[in-house]
Amino acid sequence: MRRFSWFNATSLTLGFAFLYLPMVILVIYSFNASKLVTVWAGFSTKWYGELLQNEDFLDAAWVTIRVAFFSSVLATVLGTMAATVLVRAGRFMGRGLFSGMIYAPLVMPEVITGLSLLLLFIGIGLDRGVFTIVLAHTTFAMCYVSVVVSSRLVSFDKSLEEAALDLGCTPFQAFRLVTLPIIAPAVISGWLLAFTLSLDDLVIASFTTGPSATTLPIKIFSAVRLGVSPEINALSTIMISVVTVGVITASILSKRSAVAQQRDEQAATQATG
Amino acid sequence: MNQKVFAPWDDPNQKPLIQFQNVTKKFGTFTAIDDLSLDIYEREFFALLGPSGCGKTTMMRMLAGFETPTSGTIRLSGQDLGQTAPNKRAVNMMFQSYALFPHLSVWENIAFGLKRESTDKDAIAARVEEMLRLTRLGKFAKRKPHQISGGQRQRVALARSLAKSPKLLLLDEPLGALDKKLREETQFELMDIQEKTGTTFVIVTHDQEEAMTVASRVAVMDEGRLVQVATPADIYEAPNSVYVADFIGDVNIIEGNATPNGDRVRIDWAEGQPEIWGTAQKPVASGERISFAIRPEKVTISKEKPEDRRNLLEGEVIDIAYLGNISTFHVKVGNGQIIKAQSANTRRLANRDITWEDRVWLTFTETAGVLLEG
Repeated sequence: MRRFSWFNATSLTLGFAFLYLPMVILVIYSFNASKLVTVWAGFSTKWYGELLQNEDFLDAAWVTIRVAFFSSVLATVLGTMAATVLVRAGRFMGRGLFSGMIYAPLVMPEVITGLSLLLLFIGIGLDRGVFTIVLAHTTFAMCYVSVVVSSRLVSFDKSLEEAALDLGCTPFQAFRLVTLPIIAPAVISGWLLAFTLSLDDLVIASFTTGPSATTLPIKIFSAVRLGVSPEINALSTIMISVVTVGVITASILSKRSAVAQQRDEQAATQATG
Repeated sequence: MNQKVFAPWDDPNQKPLIQFQNVTKKFGTFTAIDDLSLDIYEREFFALLGPSGCGKTTMMRMLAGFETPTSGTIRLSGQDLGQTAPNKRAVNMMFQSYALFPHLSVWENIAFGLKRESTDKDAIAARVEEMLRLTRLGKFAKRKPHQISGGQRQRVALARSLAKSPKLLLLDEPLGALDKKLREETQFELMDIQEKTGTTFVIVTHDQEEAMTVASRVAVMDEGRLVQVATPADIYEAPNSVYVADFIGDVNIIEGNATPNGDRVRIDWAEGQPEIWGTAQKPVASGERISFAIRPEKVTISKEKPEDRRNLLEGEVIDIAYLGNISTFHVKVGNGQIIKAQSANTRRLANRDITWEDRVWLTFTETAGVLLEG
């Protein structure tokens, strides 16, 4: 039953408007020729040009990208390791507790994560800056990676690893040569997810940053307090596109590629088909 | 013509390749393998046969090194395998699911094990080519596992596990996923390859026909124990228990009281029914309760009463199972027991005279059946 009804159409429009209208307005005003944010004075890309001249913003962008890159790589390594152990280890005492503890940061309020990390860094006397933000982002992003990777590992045929061991691999070789190439799409999408999460995080970054490192979200947030400028609109538009591309790529990769891999794997492990 | 029969298990001078010595394997409180001892010899094609849950797969996984015995030792060429890791054993396994690596081509799958122990590219390539020839996969070398058929995948799995020339090849239900026709062809192919390579094969299967066809010896297992280890012919013709007789092929079991008489045994099995005469394989006590097992194909069915026969039962045809090449008649004898008799359909259907509700005579010779305890 896929009939058009006014009720459905209205709910859909309202729903999407609710979600995307603010962003659409922001994107539109980023092409505004006027310096006044609320007055439309014709189409222009000049704010994008000015943005590229703004050293502060460029520095912040560079810090953000570095943080996102390093934290996502670290989170991917740690998250994949955690997922492998939890899925592979079978049943042991406290297994539920362990997996629960890995996923808990997902629902932990960011303010608390940020605050506890801040206390830790002060406690051990670590100078706050890019390094501490990387650590903080790794902490919360690895949970996401671990969720993505372990959902792939659950459907992974364990006899493939046994076959690798049987043919002379050490357990590490078996993981590197057989398991990892097969679960690669999930690992990559986990990495992309971690990358985009790090890009747009404000709360945890502002807790754990120092004077030397300002990420884009922090920069935007502090700039807005002095009034919204069209430059901020332009910058936000760029961030929206980067994050959108990242998330879409991640979901396409994890969906399509994992499905294809799984099909191959099933085909390879079943005789008929 | 002085051809030597392959029977190293009868030769006391032969050293077994694999020795299970009082092996027990427990999973928690469940005993999968119960104090089991077994010798397997070089070049044997050995079948572990039993229903699911009998411990045959556990035996195989202990040989491969994926499980370690709770107690007892397993030796390979005299050496205790103990805690040796799977990748350090001269044992390879062909998995039930084939476990082909989906991201690698057929060629790379076969080369996988070779690359782990050698860096000599030419030697690896030569060995892979040899394996491709042996399993007739040359044309598919560049394909990925999902681009070939089930039968071809089965051969890739075989080639991959044989590539390292293991002392022992384990096959876990290797033909389970193939359809009947392909399975029968592949059984002969397996035997052929086993003979060509001279490798010792241990096959795990629940399919008794498969075990009988391929194996030099069959071990029938039940609940973690070996019930009987013998050649297929011995298992079929001289089962040592009702369990084995019943598990392998079709059988009629008639219970009764024994009375020895020379090398023959008289069995009184039902009031008012003529006694059955069998041949004792070992001494039977007078009055002992025994089971007489006879295969349906050893029971002759006829409409006319044969003369001068000792084992002669009269009954009525209840059911006929027509299988094309043979027919099985279910005959109800005097006391209500059903006895199955088989006859080969050498004539066309229209010419056969026995049908439902016919009165018929069943006969068999005194040596046709076996006497079993209990």
